[in-house]
Amino acid sequence: MITRFLTEVRVKFNPFSPRSKSARLVLTLIPSNARADGMKVESKMLPRDSKEPASLGVKFKDGKEMKLDLDKMRITEVVEEVDRHSRLLARKEELLGN
Amino acid sequence: MPPRIRLHPRALCVLKSPSHAPIRQTYASLATATTPAFPLDQPLRSAPPIRRYPPTQPPSHKPPEVRKSQLHRQYQSLLKSSPLILLFQHNNIKAVEWMGIRRELASALKKIDAEKVRNGGDAVQDLFANDIRIQVIQTGIFASALRVVEFFDPEEGNGMDGEVLTHGLSRRAYEAASNKKLRVELEPLMSGPLAVIAFPAVSPQYLKAVLSILSPSPEFPAPRRKANPDYHDPLVQAGLQKFMLLGARVEGKVFDLEGTRWVGGIDGGIDGLRAQLVAMLQGAGAGLANTLDSASKSLYFTMEGRRLDMEEKEKGPEPATEEKTE
Repeated sequence: MITRFLTEVRVKFNPFSPRSKSARLVLTLIPSNARADGMKVESKMLPRDSKEPASLGVKFKDGKEMKLDLDKMRITEVVEEVDRHSRLLARKEELLGN
Repeated sequence: MPPRIRLHPRALCVLKSPSHAPIRQTYASLATATTPAFPLDQPLRSAPPIRRYPPTQPPSHKPPEVRKSQLHRQYQSLLKSSPLILLFQHNNIKAVEWMGIRRELASALKKIDAEKVRNGGDAVQDLFANDIRIQVIQTGIFASALRVVEFFDPEEGNGMDGEVLTHGLSRRAYEAASNKKLRVELEPLMSGPLAVIAFPAVSPQYLKAVLSILSPSPEFPAPRRKANPDYHDPLVQAGLQKFMLLGARVEGKVFDLEGTRWVGGIDGGIDGLRAQLVAMLQGAGAGLANTLDSASKSLYFTMEGRRLDMEEKEKGPEPATEEKTE
């Protein structure tokens, strides 16, 4: 996952639901020094009997916000969704010559 | 036509009455030690089975010398021996951060130990500071070990004839655990990078210390900066941000975050619970005595009231009769 362009990641999940696997895996894809570099990472754990679906909120450097429902997505699909916009930002950055 | 196969061939007749003719040897040097042949007329009895493995190394389903099998065995013993296990997810924690977390945890537990020693001399055997530590586990192997611990009963095959293997790596254990219909409650947690903290006993005192270090909450506040400046080291804090408490397994039951905090909040541990129960039962006993007493008391009052009433009645009419007689 391209995490260079993320400023905020918000994950909410119920660890006892088998569908929250991708939500937990999203957290593992964030590099270890991301928090030190200014990324905000919030993970909220729901109680065991809650039926609320796992969700992911992502903010990009250009201000775009993305909300994903992680309940029915596999981790590869999540990465694909997030990377689609990140690649756009990467290309823009490249064209500006930085 | 005579039967083609003779029922009593001569060869068999000869074998039926074996002749034990002594072997004649002329030279002692040429003598051969011959074991007597198996007498054919005796019924065949099965020889006692020969063990094909040393008693300390019973056969295992998977090759026992590989790391996976040994980890499996180790996790089984961990699950069997520790009544309280906390499950954490760790997300890309660096080695220095691990070091910081482990150091803080150990120092917090040492403090509890010291406090226990100071408070009472008889509680010295319940010092667990050296036994409680963070262990990063292989998730898949741990999940499999959990299934074996939950579903494999070593005593089950006692009635079967032949030798029954009772260890957790045996084929029987494997077959019991691979039953797809059975589900472990903890199964959804078994994915991603996991770490466990195992306690040798359910001791809320230690659990409280661990929770306040590793997942601080209003109930279990983290140590203040003044009290413990090391804890507020940026490295430790960065590590703790990536360390998430998922749930706990307490004596076979599964608890989520709230449940774990509740277990940590039991004052005084099992002894505290016992004291509470005793107090409750005493209260109930007193209440019961009161209730039983009150019945007899009320009966007494009723009877006394009735007696007074009767006496009054007796007294009441008496003057009237006296008047009449007068």
